[in-house]
Amino acid sequence: MSGLRADGEETAKMTLDESGAKRRGELMTEIDLSVNGRRHSVECEAHTTLLTVLRRLGCFSVRFGSATGETGAAAVLVDGRLVAADVLLAAQAVGHEITTVEALNVATGEYHPIQEAFVEAGAMQSGYSAGAMVLATKALLEANPDPTEAEIRDALSGILDRETAYVKVVEAVKRAAAALRGEKCRPMDPVVVDALAGYKASPAATVTEVDGEVSMAVPRLVISPDVPQTAVVGKPETKVDALRLVKGNPAFTDDIEPRGMLFAKVLRSPHAHARIVAIDDSAAAALPGVHAVLHCRNTARVKYASGGQSWPNPPPWDQVSFDDKVRHVGDRVAAVAAESTEIAEEACRLIKVTYEELPAVFDEVEAIKPGAPVIHDETDTEGIFDSGRNISHHIEGQTVSDEALEAAFAGADRVFEETFHVQQVQHTPIEPHITIGWLDEDERLVLRTSTQVPFHVRRMVAPLLGLPVKRIRVIKPRLGGGFGAKQEMVIEDIVGHLVLATRHPVRLELTRAEEFISTRVRHAMTVTFRSGVDAEGRLVAQDMSVVSNTGAYGTHGFTVNSVSGQHGLSLYNCPAKRFRCDVAYTNRPVAGAFRGYGAPQAFFALESHMDDIARALGLDPYEIRERNWVRTGDPLDIVLRLGERGGVEDLAPEDIPVITSCGLEECALQGRRAIGWERRSDPAWHRPADRPHIRRGLGMALAIQGSGIPLVDMAACSIKINDDGSFNMLVGATDLGTGSDTVLAQIAAEVLGVPIEDILVYSSDTDFTPFDVGAYASSTTYISGGAVKKAAEAARARIVVRAARLLGVDDASTIELHDRRAWALDGRSVSMGDIALNALHTEDQEQIMGTASHVSPESPPPFAAQLAEVEVDIETGQVTVTKLVTAVDCGVPINPITASGQVEGAMLQALGYALCEEVVLDEAGRPLNDRFGPYWIFRADDTPPMEVYLVQTMEPSGPYGAKAVAEIPIDDVAPAVRNAILDATGVAINAIPFTPERVWRALQPAT
Amino acid sequence: MSYLRPTSWAEALAARAEYPEAVVVAGGTDVMVEINFGRLHPSALLDLSRVGELRALGREDGHVRVGSGVTYQSIMRDLPGELPGLAAAARTVGSPPIRNRGTIGGNLGSASPAGDCHPPLLACGAEVEIASVHTSRTTPVADFFVGPKRSVLGPDELIAAVWVPAATGPQTFSKVGSRNAMVIAICSFALALHPDVGRVGTGIGSAGPVPLRARAAEQFLEGHLGETGAWESRPRLGDAVVDEFARLVAGAAQPIDDVRGSADYRRHALGVVARRSLMWCWDEFRGGRP
Repeated sequence: MSGLRADGEETAKMTLDESGAKRRGELMTEIDLSVNGRRHSVECEAHTTLLTVLRRLGCFSVRFGSATGETGAAAVLVDGRLVAADVLLAAQAVGHEITTVEALNVATGEYHPIQEAFVEAGAMQSGYSAGAMVLATKALLEANPDPTEAEIRDALSGILDRETAYVKVVEAVKRAAAALRGEKCRPMDPVVVDALAGYKASPAATVTEVDGEVSMAVPRLVISPDVPQTAVVGKPETKVDALRLVKGNPAFTDDIEPRGMLFAKVLRSPHAHARIVAIDDSAAAALPGVHAVLHCRNTARVKYASGGQSWPNPPPWDQVSFDDKVRHVGDRVAAVAAESTEIAEEACRLIKVTYEELPAVFDEVEAIKPGAPVIHDETDTEGIFDSGRNISHHIEGQTVSDEALEAAFAGADRVFEETFHVQQVQHTPIEPHITIGWLDEDERLVLRTSTQVPFHVRRMVAPLLGLPVKRIRVIKPRLGGGFGAKQEMVIEDIVGHLVLATRHPVRLELTRAEEFISTRVRHAMTVTFRSGVDAEGRLVAQDMSVVSNTGAYGTHGFTVNSVSGQHGLSLYNCPAKRFRCDVAYTNRPVAGAFRGYGAPQAFFALESHMDDIARALGLDPYEIRERNWVRTGDPLDIVLRLGERGGVEDLAPEDIPVITSCGLEECALQGRRAIGWERRSDPAWHRPADRPHIRRGLGMALAIQGSGIPLVDMAACSIKINDDGSFNMLVGATDLGTGSDTVLAQIAAEVLGVPIEDILVYSSDTDFTPFDVGAYASSTTYISGGAVKKAAEAARARIVVRAARLLGVDDASTIELHDRRAWALDGRSVSMGDIALNALHTEDQEQIMGTASHVSPESPPPFAAQLAEVEVDIETGQVTVTKLVTAVDCGVPINPITASGQVEGAMLQALGYALCEEVVLDEAGRPLNDRFGPYWIFRADDTPPMEVYLVQTMEPSGPYGAKAVAEIPIDDVAPAVRNAILDATGVAINAIPFTPERVWRALQPAT
Repeated sequence: MSYLRPTSWAEALAARAEYPEAVVVAGGTDVMVEINFGRLHPSALLDLSRVGELRALGREDGHVRVGSGVTYQSIMRDLPGELPGLAAAARTVGSPPIRNRGTIGGNLGSASPAGDCHPPLLACGAEVEIASVHTSRTTPVADFFVGPKRSVLGPDELIAAVWVPAATGPQTFSKVGSRNAMVIAICSFALALHPDVGRVGTGIGSAGPVPLRARAAEQFLEGHLGETGAWESRPRLGDAVVDEFARLVAGAAQPIDDVRGSADYRRHALGVVARRSLMWCWDEFRGGRP
């Protein structure tokens, strides 16, 4: 083919020898690429993607999300147009100009106006796809300097974001457009909204006029008069990690590549349930380039539970690194480390495994029936509740005896019973699970890994590898999202085994299909509520029973399902409550932690059930809730009967925790106003005259969550001063995109009287940072924030002593810190830098520092009201959510931008749960939708308008009044949508997701 | 693996003849997924992205000749007036990164039953221009697909262009999916009215092994409109006519149960979309007559 020429280049160079071309991965050629204005000569293979080549060239902003072009994390500009570099041949880019976000990074520490707008608007959470979004914006604005919202959403639609719900991204694009047109934008300061319940705006607070013109990306804030004025806390500070994210700087696990690194692949089970009779790895091991093949025949059998939880991890410890039995399609069989991914894949194909197939069971209710195949028949797992019946855990908790409960039901005016079903869904962080491991110069094992729980991983991986904890270091770089999927040790042990076996650095990154089938999913559940009410609709008895699907392993089975009961039975006051749950093993993918952690399942059932009771009693859905909801001072009487410290038989009344702050009524009122609740009683609105096939409806649901796990979650922090009066702050807390590094820095800055940029946050590295349980259970702001506040106060105590001495003041307690200075009462002051120089260099020298840890005996609940407006197409069953509102009481939001960003992101994940997401298996347990597309997550162009209201309450036990925020907004979108469909059509649907087909079938008259 | 990179149509056809086993890559948005997933291990890749002729749009005899290398983006931007159905379908494809690369020829070449371009091409009565070093031929789109991901394309042939009659009446394209904008539809439907010749065109996607025409529905409606003189008088269409058309469209589908929906539901949804499409198109054709 030498006659074919391309751009003057001899294409024969690209026409490679075919003799050995049957296998990929051996024939290299050289191409010339023009990237960001520079020419590069790159070696690659014919099938190499542009993504691979760009990352090799150091364009770290171009990232892997899938190999299908569907996530857009790898989007770049080719001749100014956005294209997906993961589905573009590198060779096809020859002769074209390629632009990545690195092209905008001309000055150190400075931003391009588009980047500046992204930072200001809070458009990034993890920032994993920030580069792609900035480029999409650049391409759009160059063609169209004043785009409409629809045009912006279309331009962003190829870049999936599982974190922001696109609200602040769209805002950033609008701001960037305005900036490039030379216009000024309103700052992102919250819009203060008048309270509707018992609050009065604090006279000290700055009250902004409510302005309908201000974008809903700007948080709305209802101010509590109990909240004192602060300088940094409560302000819309920009993220401390904004620069590294918006510039696409190397910050994530995959952004380093040790020399001599090997690539790992995992051979996964094609069967839902089978015994491994024999493994022949000889052909795989003999393949050139293969360094290790590990499986059950050559790896120690050490039992563990993969859930990242405090020691001792709740039983059963029913997993081993490589088992001689597989329990779901995608279960681990073997792992290979080789010199390229292609060789590792080829080696996996060469491993001969002989399986004895076993019958499988997928449904949780079927699994616990007599005669179901026994999934954990091994003899060395302790702590399974009833292995013969596939029950991993049985959980019980009640506030009264069985007899008293039945007596309460007998005394009720009406008793209602309903059963609900919720499905498995997957977290789909855009950054998949990835771990790079190596032996350091002291031959200690280093694991750089995308985890929410670095300290748990270090402790849990040690016995599996036969290493003491001290021989292991776990580094958590930036994470591209986690949502609970990374609160598990999913792959770190595999990498550890392979590093020890090969003594080479080893990298394992999961594919998108592996994310779906082999990481974790949300527990599917069958939930039954039986409720007794009096004539006014007040609850007199609540009986909640659950059969939960933990999949093949028990990991989080105990704790997630306990939380279902703890939250599901804490929203309303009721004198008699009982929770019972069987957690079933099945041959489905493994269920684990997922944002909300058992609460979304419970609230779908509870809040649907409450609407049905209201309907039966002729009450407004708001009314029945108002008659039952908890208020400040009410007891949380089921919480201590369940959970890690649960099973308390005889609780003294004074041991029962009470609610110390509660903005639930305000949340419900704000939500009701924002959604236009009065339209519920307007028949004309429900049936738009111009579209006879459409029915409209409104729905509401409420939720309660926790703030960390009381007496279990511990966090620590260490702060030291530098010569210039800045501070290094080391925290074990794990920012997975939530903004916790920023929020924690705000707390430290507030205590120390400095701006947030003077706090240099480092998180987290088991060698350097103090312990923290990790990012889960809505604990970081409340628990880790508590540790930061204490550590900062310890440093502050030394600062004021030294400042008093420098200022000649006798009583150090009169010194105040603000504006980077220490102030005496008479107005004299000394700078933080001078205090530092004095302490470090000149007089009675010391390192001013503070270290503290924090555990809370309480878990003050945040509250939320979520409301949905829907349109149901009664001919097709298509449900279109036309508006979502969330009003949340998270105490004092430390940062209203990051807090509202958390709420928005959770709302959109929850909307997927309600409408379209489901991990679907065929009859053999094989995945049918293990990629985006068939598994739908919302894009920028199909997201409904969202409104977020932050309702302040002053939580006495929280740092500066804070409670948790990250999980609660995921709890209630599904029941709010369900109740809105009920309002629209009169049809109650008790299973999600509300696919068009499910809704259409429900709308058909019963035959 | 060989990588063939012709820069002219003649070179491309020569390469195709010499490497019949080569996998053809245009925008790459479909093929690269298969290669990345390891489902395709071609011994050669034939990259058509440098063949400038394939990106051309031409007009002849009331037809638009759309080069096989024309992207969805270009269809949306350049053809909404002449080929409104095809432009509407292009607008629903993927997202800008996919629309900027994906081509009409690639969509046809993949021959997916869910290909977005196929229903409007069927409804318009488009023809595919196919060439090899020896011959050139055209085939109606309706005869192009022979099975799931299989077409009449011979091992030495390439798609040169698609000939689409310029619209003489209203056209629509609709998808039914899990969300407002979805990547792969539960089913899709295209309708084109050709008042100049008294013809009705339909195309059904994602509801059979190949993209389908609802011929009985077309004939029924053509018969009704012709017999009643409706092309001239443009009256309102009675419910019975619209319902019968919808019933015949649904009956033409050959859907299966899969993760996106059951066969029953798909057939039902297709009927709904067909009814609405006819009402939209006819209303547009009537042009606001009372």
